[in-house]
Amino acid sequence: MSTATVAVQGKEKAEAEMVEMCSVRLGKTLFGVPITHILEIVGSARPQPVPLAPDFVGGLIHYRGDVLTTVSLRQLLGLPAKEGLQNILVLESAGGCFGLLVDSVGEVLIVSSAEYELNPATLDERRKALFAGAYKLRGSLLIMLDPEKLDPMCLSASLA
Amino acid sequence: MGAMDDELTREFLIESQEGLDRMERCLTELEEKPQDAELIGEIFRAVHTIKGTTGFLGFKRLETLAHAGENLLGLLREGKLTANRPLITGLLELLDGLRSILKSIETKASEGEGDDAVLISQLEALQMPAQVEAKEPVCAQVGVASASAPPPSKIRSAQPVASAPVITAPEEPVPAAAPALKAPAEAESEAARPRVQTAAESTLRVDVAVLNRMMNLVGELVLTRNQVLQATASDPKMTMLTRRLDMVTADLRESVMQARMQPVSNIFGKIPRIVRDLTQTLGRRVRLQVEGQETELDKSLLEAIKDPITHAVRNSLDHGIEPPEARQAAGKNPEGILKLRAAQEGSHVIIEVSDDGAGIDVERVRKKAIERGTITAKRAMQLSEREQLQLIFVPGLSTSDVVTNVSGRGVGMDVVRTNVEKIGGKVEIDSRFGKGTTLRMRIPLTLAIIPALIVRSMNQSFALPQGALSELVHVPAAQAATAIEWIEDAPLYRLRGKLLPLVFLDQMLKPGAEHKNASERDNFIAVLDADGRRFGLVVDGLADPEEIVVKPLSGVLKDIRLYSGATVLGNADLALILDPGAIAMKAGVALREEDAAREAEGETGAEAARDIEYLLVEVAGRQAAVPLSDVLRIEQLPLNRIEYIGFRPVLNFEGQLLPVDDSGGVLTAAQGNSAAQVIVVVCREGNRQVGIAVSHVLDVAGGGELFEAGSEQITSGVTLLKDHVTGVVDLGGVVRLAAGQQAPAEWSQMRETVA
Repeated sequence: MSTATVAVQGKEKAEAEMVEMCSVRLGKTLFGVPITHILEIVGSARPQPVPLAPDFVGGLIHYRGDVLTTVSLRQLLGLPAKEGLQNILVLESAGGCFGLLVDSVGEVLIVSSAEYELNPATLDERRKALFAGAYKLRGSLLIMLDPEKLDPMCLSASLA
Repeated sequence: MGAMDDELTREFLIESQEGLDRMERCLTELEEKPQDAELIGEIFRAVHTIKGTTGFLGFKRLETLAHAGENLLGLLREGKLTANRPLITGLLELLDGLRSILKSIETKASEGEGDDAVLISQLEALQMPAQVEAKEPVCAQVGVASASAPPPSKIRSAQPVASAPVITAPEEPVPAAAPALKAPAEAESEAARPRVQTAAESTLRVDVAVLNRMMNLVGELVLTRNQVLQATASDPKMTMLTRRLDMVTADLRESVMQARMQPVSNIFGKIPRIVRDLTQTLGRRVRLQVEGQETELDKSLLEAIKDPITHAVRNSLDHGIEPPEARQAAGKNPEGILKLRAAQEGSHVIIEVSDDGAGIDVERVRKKAIERGTITAKRAMQLSEREQLQLIFVPGLSTSDVVTNVSGRGVGMDVVRTNVEKIGGKVEIDSRFGKGTTLRMRIPLTLAIIPALIVRSMNQSFALPQGALSELVHVPAAQAATAIEWIEDAPLYRLRGKLLPLVFLDQMLKPGAEHKNASERDNFIAVLDADGRRFGLVVDGLADPEEIVVKPLSGVLKDIRLYSGATVLGNADLALILDPGAIAMKAGVALREEDAAREAEGETGAEAARDIEYLLVEVAGRQAAVPLSDVLRIEQLPLNRIEYIGFRPVLNFEGQLLPVDDSGGVLTAAQGNSAAQVIVVVCREGNRQVGIAVSHVLDVAGGGELFEAGSEQITSGVTLLKDHVTGVVDLGGVVRLAAGQQAPAEWSQMRETVA
């Protein structure tokens, strides 16, 4: 494991910062979403499909009086869609709230910014646009997801 | 600036803007009634309040200008000046000046750099009661320039601070002026307009955001109620509780909606100024009549119709009402009349902008429409004059300069229609060449909660707004093959002899996917009338009609352009709300050859919506009409379903006994034929339902005015339907008949034999 310290994007900090990440799983991959962006975790909801919507839209869910558009992470990564009940993270981005469909939601991990690294150059373009680097955990990698990049409006612009 | 100051400034801005709005209304009114002390008092108060508060908040430029205005108004209030045209023009300019400074404070938090010296000196000049004014009633500038006599000093002394127009610290003008103005103004306004006074005491300013949130929460409650009602429907113990919940929810919803209502005077109030300015620039003479100012409408809707109304007023003044000379030549009063009318009709508000101007030359509109290919010449000949007139709303046509110049209307009429239809309203135009034009808008009272029919397609629920729905046709799988006809790959249905283009919802939403053939499933055709297009939307299931709460969709889904929102149903499912107009547009690509006909068809539909709509039926060879709003459904059933209680035909309809009227003898005629089918129109009559036995259902049509007529047995009135005088079935009479009070002779005999 490399011990080189990486400056956290733009910040000139010598000492490491601790960040809280909610871990979610999709297939075998572990992803992390900063808990500051998570409004709620909705377990076992059945999103209502929206005909003619872009592929990445996982459907609509009813959340506290509003109807939220959800984004299917599976669909985004080109994995086969999952039928039936889904776990949903309700995320907040600059453009409003939306849901993120994931396979399962794990524990909250506290990671050190010292363990952060940017996306490797070998990653395909689509994933580069979706991932925001990774944290090196003991034994595995936690791939960072940036809620701003997953916002449906942003996705429809970037995938267009 | 601290938070405290910010709050104060915000409050001040709101109050001042309201004051100025009032002032604007009063000023234009004052022109009509120059002696009205109450109006002058109101105007004075608006300016005075601004001046008083600005000193406190430190807005020097505003204060100086308001002060100059206050001096002038003080003289006016004391009766030392008369409210003539130059004076009112000057005051309107003062109003604009104050407004622009307020605007600058609001947006830039500073008063801005402007110089008001010219305006102030104008206002000062107006303080001299110049004799020339009477001679120069039209042009404000002349009036101001010629008023150069020195000010009579005794007038000036009436105001303690009047001698120094540019004053920086008002010593005590507020308490000095306040009692003086209160006495006369209060006494009068209490007599004339008690509302103005009491409103201030019993009302509360509430942030629109709070109201929106409340509306949202009430929407949630309505949904929860729907779910509770469905979940407890089978539990008798819960009946009382759920009924109570139902009532309270309904009341609460009404109250919250009420809180969002605002009188249309908020918009109408701005019109006099527009009329005044435009008549001066255009050289027209126009009298404005306003009716139904107190009619209330949801705030968001009020905002949405502001532009269409302003547009219509401009159109009327610019192209409708002729210059005075032209009017005189045409034998009309040189002063034109522009009328604004608002009235509530059921769950809609009608807003009319009418003028007695030149009207629209239908001939030109039609020619233009044919020229542009909007409509075929053949089709145009079939349209009534009124229908042809509605062509003016068609986009390509309205921007045409020929129509604009010659017939008067057109600039952006399609925009007016788009704006009004966007909020679920309808707009139509009525004009008589040489006599005048009326633009009528029909606006729903509220947007947040709408009645909708829930339809099913692809195992999914969709909501279809009732507003666009005109009727439903059931085509069972067995009949689908013959009932649905095709021109190439365009499906059509013969609706009462006319071809109706069909759109299959599943094929539209999932193009390319494998769908069940129409003859392998149940089909329901929802006949829709949207954006002037009439078509049938085919779905494979119907659920109940529901009052749905419209939830907005995220931008990415709005871009699909087929859904106007989403809603949560009683069973907690989500349903997308279909936008009939958008579906018509999208389907129009595949059905291009139908466009012109459909366009015209749509105009017919829009026209029909104008009057009462009737269901045209045939009863024993005679045509009769039933008001469509009273028709619940049309049942076709075997004759043996009709049972008799004594002599009375009744129908066991959804577990309830429905009295059936057979004054036309349809049932009697079919008697004995065991295989006979009868058609019963099920209608609402007060709290009851009644059935009417008919031979055929012919059509749905808009009826003209009711004329007086002698009353036949069940005919209380007649209407003009499709240029034929048609009797209207009197449903009230049916109930009496069914109760056995007016039984026909042969039935009385039958009873005797039974007895």
